[in-house]
Amino acid sequence: MKTEKTNIKAALTIATAALLGGNTVAHAETTAAKEDNSWEFDSAFLFYSETDRVSASEVILNAKKSFEDDEILNLKLTVDALTGASANGAVAQPTVQTFTRPSGNGQYDIAPGDTPLDDTFHDTRVQLNAQWTQAVADNLTASGGVHISKEYDYLSLGVNGNIAMDFDRKNSTVSLGFSHFQDTFTPEGGIPKPFASMLIGDSSAPTWDDEFAKTRLGSDDDKTTTDLLLGFTQVINRRMIMQFNYSYSMVDGYLTDPFKILTIVDDNGIAQDYVYESRPDSRVKQSIYAQSLYHFDTNVLDVSYRYMWDDGEITSHTIDSRFTIPLSDSFSRESYIQPHFRFYQQSAADFYQPFILASEPLPVFASADYRIGEMTAFTIGLKYGLLVNNGHELSFRLEYYRQTPTDAGFDEPGVLKEVDLYPSVDAMIAQVSYSF
Amino acid sequence: MRYFLTKHLSLVVLFTLLFNVVCDAKATDVKAIEQVNSREALEQVLAQHKGEVVYLDFWASWCVPCRKSFPWMNAIQAKYQSKGFSVISVNLDANYNLAQKFLVENPASFTVIYDPKGKIAKHFAIQGMPSSMLIGRDGKIKQRHTGFFTKKIPEYQHEIELLLSK
Amino acid sequence: MNTGHKIKLALIVPLIATASGCTSLGVEPWERDLLAKDAMSLTSSPIDSALDDHIYFSKEASSGGKGFGGGGCGCN
Repeated sequence: MKTEKTNIKAALTIATAALLGGNTVAHAETTAAKEDNSWEFDSAFLFYSETDRVSASEVILNAKKSFEDDEILNLKLTVDALTGASANGAVAQPTVQTFTRPSGNGQYDIAPGDTPLDDTFHDTRVQLNAQWTQAVADNLTASGGVHISKEYDYLSLGVNGNIAMDFDRKNSTVSLGFSHFQDTFTPEGGIPKPFASMLIGDSSAPTWDDEFAKTRLGSDDDKTTTDLLLGFTQVINRRMIMQFNYSYSMVDGYLTDPFKILTIVDDNGIAQDYVYESRPDSRVKQSIYAQSLYHFDTNVLDVSYRYMWDDGEITSHTIDSRFTIPLSDSFSRESYIQPHFRFYQQSAADFYQPFILASEPLPVFASADYRIGEMTAFTIGLKYGLLVNNGHELSFRLEYYRQTPTDAGFDEPGVLKEVDLYPSVDAMIAQVSYSF
Repeated sequence: MRYFLTKHLSLVVLFTLLFNVVCDAKATDVKAIEQVNSREALEQVLAQHKGEVVYLDFWASWCVPCRKSFPWMNAIQAKYQSKGFSVISVNLDANYNLAQKFLVENPASFTVIYDPKGKIAKHFAIQGMPSSMLIGRDGKIKQRHTGFFTKKIPEYQHEIELLLSK
Repeated sequence: MNTGHKIKLALIVPLIATASGCTSLGVEPWERDLLAKDAMSLTSSPIDSALDDHIYFSKEASSGGKGFGGGGCGCN
């Protein structure tokens, strides 16, 4: 909350690249500043930490300048760093397992009964976004922007364009958005051959490099993503507004995770081999989204629902809700608390399988990455914000995120019945933000 | 299976709730202190300025472009007053305190009439915020503007000068 | 009907019922005081939203879908 009320000319979005590539839709909402030609800054620091797994820190600095008559320039800098361990896709075994690092330089051991985690991931990413928004006619706003994101092994370049048209004294708005991304991936160790066996041995042996190279296809590959969004916003009454969106996304290129493998097990569930995964080279996702905001006497309820379906049999439901409660002016400062609850559920991709049976033929595509398997997740959190120093806002957010992968109906032969094939992942999210 | 039912049930409940809420009466829960009928107040003020060119402006504390228009309205009030010109503003805040807070941060050297229930705005069929109208010396509306654009200030001033010359 | 179609119907039917059941939707331009508040904007915190989208894109198989445009004070 700021003392100056905001004039939302049009909230227009741009996409950001994810840690491991691809795209998400992030929001560079444009609101007019308190005076012409003044800069408004938003800064945030986020810490994400999974129990025994990945940790990430992210810093965002956003600068917004409003020019005469609702022209807005938005510049954003994002820096994030990732460390820790991620599941490599292999299944736990009652014995010690050894795997080779993605780069080919060195091996690591996993204790009996443990879910195999690869801890060689640490990467730093820098991202820059620039977005320009302005009115092009009465009731018509346009926006365009660029995006660049770079990390050690990944480069993402993108553009976006949007228009929003208002009707009926701005009670209704139709919006159309488009974005396109071009990504290049140069993973350490190169691109593995689909279903090639993971070479395990002594990385310092003289024959190692040649043998390792035989499991590689090349050094890099790329991916393009095109998104289209159609939206409709309607003011219902003085207290309520709703939004409905349809989006269509096409991804083409290298969609496989070069660091992930699958275990080939015999009929007793004992690992025989580890092979690199392989995913289809295209994916079409569609989603419908509905959001509703309602202002009670002082509190505001924000609820949204998204249904997503793709051409790989993944369907998902997301329900997200926030309740903003302004607090009475204690210490004569305006403040609020905002509880948050999110529920997520997805079905498995048609090429997802937790392992491969040696007795069956190799599938055309397969991945044991739990993130495309069947899962339920929920987030529960609380945000506290207050105005300090002349209208600047300081806020704190603490959330708990739990992912529970579930059995998508695969039989568990032999020893696999005794290990946890679908371990849950718990994470804490802590964030501090300051706007000035 | 339980997830399936819970999810669908909560969706149905959610939408039933929304459905009921949506068809509620609109904007009748506005609390405001209105001592004088706002339309009568405006008629009285306009009568006082009969024969003058009047710039009638509609504003509210939550309207950001209104913040930009106030310094300019103070300036034209000072500049053209001697030629028979007045700025009269109509405040549309449902909450009187918010209007006062705005006036502390953005002082007005011109008249403010309070219309918390929007009766004046409705009478003039205001299409957007802010809105302004230029009333000629003959008491008739000559110009209507929706929105306030600093780029159009020369245009606004030209229109005023044209009416003042009559 | 498969689950997907049921979901779509569950969303669309109330929407049409809502829209047709009420005689008018929307407010006069001067009745947007509550809609103009930060807490009533479709994305009340773009930074939180960007951070969250990044997390969920990395850990789940879905992304995006949210939109832009409309709401707020409706000024200019």
